[in-house]
Amino acid sequence: MDAAAATKPRADRIDWSQLWYPGPQRIFSDAELARAATDAPSRTLLAAVLINVAVMAAVAMMVAPPQITAQLMALMVIGAAAAWPMALRLWYRPTRRALTMLSVSYLAGSAAAAAALRAMAADSTERTWALSAPWVIALLVTVLLWFLTVFRAEQLDLRLRELDERELARERACQLAAAQMQPHFLFNALASLQHWVQTGDRRAAPMLAALSGFLRATLPLFERPRLRLGEEIEAVRQYLEVMRLRFGDRLSYVIDASPQALAVELPPGLVLALVENAIEHGVSPSVEGGRIELKAALTGKRLKVEIHDNGSGPAPGTPDGVGLANSRARLALAYGSNAVLRVAASPPRGCVALIDISIEGPG
Amino acid sequence: MTTDGVTALIADDEEAPRAQLRAALEKAWPELRIVAEVGNGADAWDAWLEHEPRVCFLDIRMPALSGIEVAQRIDGRTPVVFVTAYGDHALAAFDAGAVDYLMKPVDPERVVQTVARLRGRLDAPPPAQLRDLLAQLGAQLQRRAVPTVLQAGVGKEVRLIRVADVIYFESDTRYTRVVHEGGEALIRTPLKELLAQLDGEQFWQLHRSVIVNHHHIAAAVRVDEGTMHVTLRGRSERLPVSRHFQSRFKGQ
Repeated sequence: MDAAAATKPRADRIDWSQLWYPGPQRIFSDAELARAATDAPSRTLLAAVLINVAVMAAVAMMVAPPQITAQLMALMVIGAAAAWPMALRLWYRPTRRALTMLSVSYLAGSAAAAAALRAMAADSTERTWALSAPWVIALLVTVLLWFLTVFRAEQLDLRLRELDERELARERACQLAAAQMQPHFLFNALASLQHWVQTGDRRAAPMLAALSGFLRATLPLFERPRLRLGEEIEAVRQYLEVMRLRFGDRLSYVIDASPQALAVELPPGLVLALVENAIEHGVSPSVEGGRIELKAALTGKRLKVEIHDNGSGPAPGTPDGVGLANSRARLALAYGSNAVLRVAASPPRGCVALIDISIEGPG
Repeated sequence: MTTDGVTALIADDEEAPRAQLRAALEKAWPELRIVAEVGNGADAWDAWLEHEPRVCFLDIRMPALSGIEVAQRIDGRTPVVFVTAYGDHALAAFDAGAVDYLMKPVDPERVVQTVARLRGRLDAPPPAQLRDLLAQLGAQLQRRAVPTVLQAGVGKEVRLIRVADVIYFESDTRYTRVVHEGGEALIRTPLKELLAQLDGEQFWQLHRSVIVNHHHIAAAVRVDEGTMHVTLRGRSERLPVSRHFQSRFKGQ
């Protein structure tokens, strides 16, 4: 669900509220700001702003009549000094509300400055300058603040999204690794193997072969984003063989996959996770044990992989485990709505898991 | 205190780890007599009732009843050592002194240490807070579905019996006799497996071969020091209560 929401493009509508209430829509939480907004403005940015302000100030000084240059200079210094903390505040916390409040207070300050200068003005030229200079500065500053806020909000938004994605990818990789390298599987298998080696039991050799076959077959699961179903089913076969040796006559299995289905490439680990699930929740809790049937078939562009067990079956209303939710998310990421993963009771006994994918294009 | 001829129970759903543990115990504790080796939790509890072993080695993940659930039923009457594979259960997170455990594949030296500790604990009272500890351990395991209906074949038909209507179950050689509000039936599921599926709050085990819906119990009658039976509401049967279950009835 999350993956689907993330990939859906946002509708591009005109946000009319920007006219009377300008600034970024998104409000960042304290946690988000702590994650993404702790960096100070870069030196390049500061230098660019300083040079621009200096050039504008120099031009203003050249244009202004000589009798008011001192006042103009003071006005610009005060104006810049007042704008600086506002800009910093918006840099670290770019919100629409703060932008509006700071802009309004800046404009009010400018109005006061204009009134004061006008009262001091001696002639009509000075009066014109007294009125216009504070307003021009105020206009420039508020536009700059608006630009800064929008830029910074957009930057934080992108940065947060990137951090989220990176975290999600790392989480998925960890879950995949955990799913494939379940330590209890390894140690349980080693427990049997150790005993059979010590006692010279004939099952030692096939157990060692299946276990090393499983480890070899699961290695590509970590290395490649896509894996042929045939390669994954090889890992499944070795896994089931290890379990069959461990469980003795409590487990039997059959794998039936068409050659066309084996050639299809899939995100790795999905089928193996479902088979592990069937063992864990179907066969393992059952006193008599059970049977696993894996079927894979390709009809046209539609791949169906079915894993059936005749174990105790899911209890009604059992919530999906983390593993299943993770598999669903990975399928949705790869195929969107073209893939379905269903797990249901399979009367009279047991459980069936079905992966159903419409594959577009070759591979 | 004597450690001669101490009896033991080993429960593991896989044959090889069971055999490995037995071999390690034979070396570390030659006088130990293993009286039962079983492959699931229901059999483990049944074997405990039958043999009353002095020590139990229980795998945690087993079909029917988990090792923790079996330990909860044993309730400190016998010391228990859990046997588990690394990663199977977060046993190691618990105070090592309170719960004894062995990791699979078992390390012979660890077995020697565990045996030394067990010998000292054979006649000691169970550790304090054992029940709390087992409840915490059990909380990490998944719950099973509780059946609401039983299916009993009677001639050509299959009768559905609501579990809530059952008065008591009694094992009857190869079958289990189900006495319910609408009559009687025989089912193939052994009593010890039913026990693992039923809600223990409602269905009380009174004997190795009797489970009763406690809503139907009228009274528990003590006959002599070791003998007790219960009478049922509106019925003439008397059901035996074996020694292990007599503490359920203590009067208030």
